Amino acid sequence: MFDFVGKKKYTMLLSGLIILAGIIAMIVRGGLNLDVQFRGGTRIEIEMENGDFDADKAGSVASDAIGKTIHGQKSSTLDANQDNKNVDFLVLTSSGKLSEEERDTVIEAIKGQFSIKEGGQMQVRDVDPSIGKELKNRGLLAVFVAAIMLLIYVWIRFNIMSGLLAGLTAVIALIHDIAVMVSVYAIFNIPVNESFIAAVLTILGYSINDTIVIYDRIRENSRFSRKDTIDGLVNKSITQSMSRTINTTVTTVLSVLTIFLFAVYNGIGSIQEFTFPILIGLIAGTYSSIFIASPLWVALRQREANKKAGAKPAKA
Amino acid sequence: MKASSGIKCFLVVAVIAIVTAVVIAGFNVPGISFKMERAYDQIRYGIDIRGGVSAVLTAPEGVEPTDDQLDTVKGIIDKRLEAKQVYDKNVNVDRVNKRVLVEIPYKKDATSLNPYETMADLGAMAMLSFREVDEDKIDPETGAYVMTDRIVVQGSEIVEARAETNPQTGMPYVRLIFSDEGAKKFEEATGRLIGKRIAIYLDDYMINAPIVNQQITGKDNAVIELGVYERNQAMKEAKELAAVISAGALPFNLEAKDINAISPIIGESALTISVIAGIVALILIWLFMIMFYRLPGFISCISLLGQMTGLILVIALTGMSLTLPGIAGIILTIGMSVDANVIIFERIKEELRNGKTVQSSVDSGFKSALTAVFDGNITTLITAAVLYFIGTGAVQSFAFTLGIGIILNFLTAVYATRIMLNTVSQIQGLRKPWLFGAKGGAANV
Repeated sequence: MFDFVGKKKYTMLLSGLIILAGIIAMIVRGGLNLDVQFRGGTRIEIEMENGDFDADKAGSVASDAIGKTIHGQKSSTLDANQDNKNVDFLVLTSSGKLSEEERDTVIEAIKGQFSIKEGGQMQVRDVDPSIGKELKNRGLLAVFVAAIMLLIYVWIRFNIMSGLLAGLTAVIALIHDIAVMVSVYAIFNIPVNESFIAAVLTILGYSINDTIVIYDRIRENSRFSRKDTIDGLVNKSITQSMSRTINTTVTTVLSVLTIFLFAVYNGIGSIQEFTFPILIGLIAGTYSSIFIASPLWVALRQREANKKAGAKPAKA
Repeated sequence: MKASSGIKCFLVVAVIAIVTAVVIAGFNVPGISFKMERAYDQIRYGIDIRGGVSAVLTAPEGVEPTDDQLDTVKGIIDKRLEAKQVYDKNVNVDRVNKRVLVEIPYKKDATSLNPYETMADLGAMAMLSFREVDEDKIDPETGAYVMTDRIVVQGSEIVEARAETNPQTGMPYVRLIFSDEGAKKFEEATGRLIGKRIAIYLDDYMINAPIVNQQITGKDNAVIELGVYERNQAMKEAKELAAVISAGALPFNLEAKDINAISPIIGESALTISVIAGIVALILIWLFMIMFYRLPGFISCISLLGQMTGLILVIALTGMSLTLPGIAGIILTIGMSVDANVIIFERIKEELRNGKTVQSSVDSGFKSALTAVFDGNITTLITAAVLYFIGTGAVQSFAFTLGIGIILNFLTAVYATRIMLNTVSQIQGLRKPWLFGAKGGAANV
């Protein structure tokens, strides 16, 4: 039997290193790379005649036209409904929100020098900073309230595991998963947007479930075998749940990965944007259920027990 | 016992088969008035999937709009979009944050789309006019009277329009209050047009065409009765009409705080890819479950199909718009559904390894797995509920599919699987531990 509890120093170190790298990346870059919808700003995607254009040049043409920095990028998509025909877009991103005149000037300037597709589609995301802030705060509030509710539920249901402690370690495991997801985004400088929040919420639901299945085993085993040490009990419970944990993760990763790969092949950014963080979260979630939540519970439980043992003689 | 469990099992399979058939082919049985197209066409998709513009509209800074004004804005935007034959739109008032949220889907064959122009159109001033019409000239496309240039009164000559209720009949109507000039013009026109219609236009869109019953004199004696006999419906229409007439122009300038426009090409590609990828993922999960858990695995495939199609059916019937995060919710519930079965089947395997018979293993496997499945699903349901009540648009759609999916999980992954597995484990030839995925162990049948 693998000693999950005994190896907790190493397993927690691994998580710690990833999160530390994330924190360093955030300090170096001055925070997360927030996407237009959270930061406020304007992003215009213009459908082009073909993919044969210089995006950097387009960016500088747009910048010169209004005297603000605008970043130009290429993006292309396969139209799944038209024999995977290639559709090319020029993506113009401005860090501040553009005024109406500025927008029109930019579009005119691009039209003058580049071949925009006749009757093509335009994609726009234009967000006022106040709304961006609100979206972000609402998302954070939702995560926070959900975590508190879960803590209370685990507290009530896992009384036998000294409920509050169990709830606490379950929520710490959740925070760990979210921290890993945020860290990966910070390290690779991936823009954070609504899809990321949705992914975080998905993981919130998934990872707690994972932890609870193991807790359930601990709860059950502690009813039958009161002789086991806590270490032994937890190790046994984790081992017993192992094939379930792995099989569930495999099936879920399988379905999310399938969708992710399809999206990558077809260049569907919106789907990539939410399946990628879910993949990271799934792996982090499984890892934390096995290596963080229960071993941490053991450690805290033992500390509590030692305290009590130390306190009793003093009182007597 | 055996016969009754056989019947139950048959019913479960039949229900799943029917739901699946309705989702794939639709519901159209002669003699039953309830009809449904196949779910794929029936589901309302969010802007991020079908393509279109969504916008958050607010008053300019410093202006605090009242609820009535917000309703007026909604009424006017609705009418303007209808005038452009956009019926499948979504206009909502957010009273708490003093905003109007608009979602306008793109039509499939729309030509060049500049979302900024669409927004500018919505915010533009509209002109209200009452006009004489020729009752034999009807626009065949819209069914409205062709607009003439014989204007009776204009928006500027109407001071106010109010929705009131007739104290005798209880039926609502709209009272018009004219300016001095407007009252004079109206008196002259109504005297001349008794028995004929005066049509009310917003720009070139006809919103109503009441018949003149008698000559109307004075500033506040004109009322428009609505030809609706259901009182609540009439009240709603009276209010809307009053709002549009009294504020032909918007009560305040609209500012778009958040515009999100998605090209229908990208949107529809995203949908097609999600559907194809979803089917591939489903097949992979099926193969995995059958390989690992054999007979119970096969049964869980039926339950999973029931869970998925049930979820799609609920989404289609409730008319909740399905967004990309909503699809994420579906994926998560599939994961949870498979998970519930994995937990149960692992328990059954354990029991078999301990030397129990197939039938009692199935029994105790379900019993001991139930608490884990229950707690796991309830916590996820809690997450879904929190997100539904706190989250905004896209997050809500995620929470909705997740919540419904979890409830269906209890029905399919736990209840339906149990019934089917119970029946199967009673069949002599299928009571082989090998068929339940257990390696070795004494085969006590």
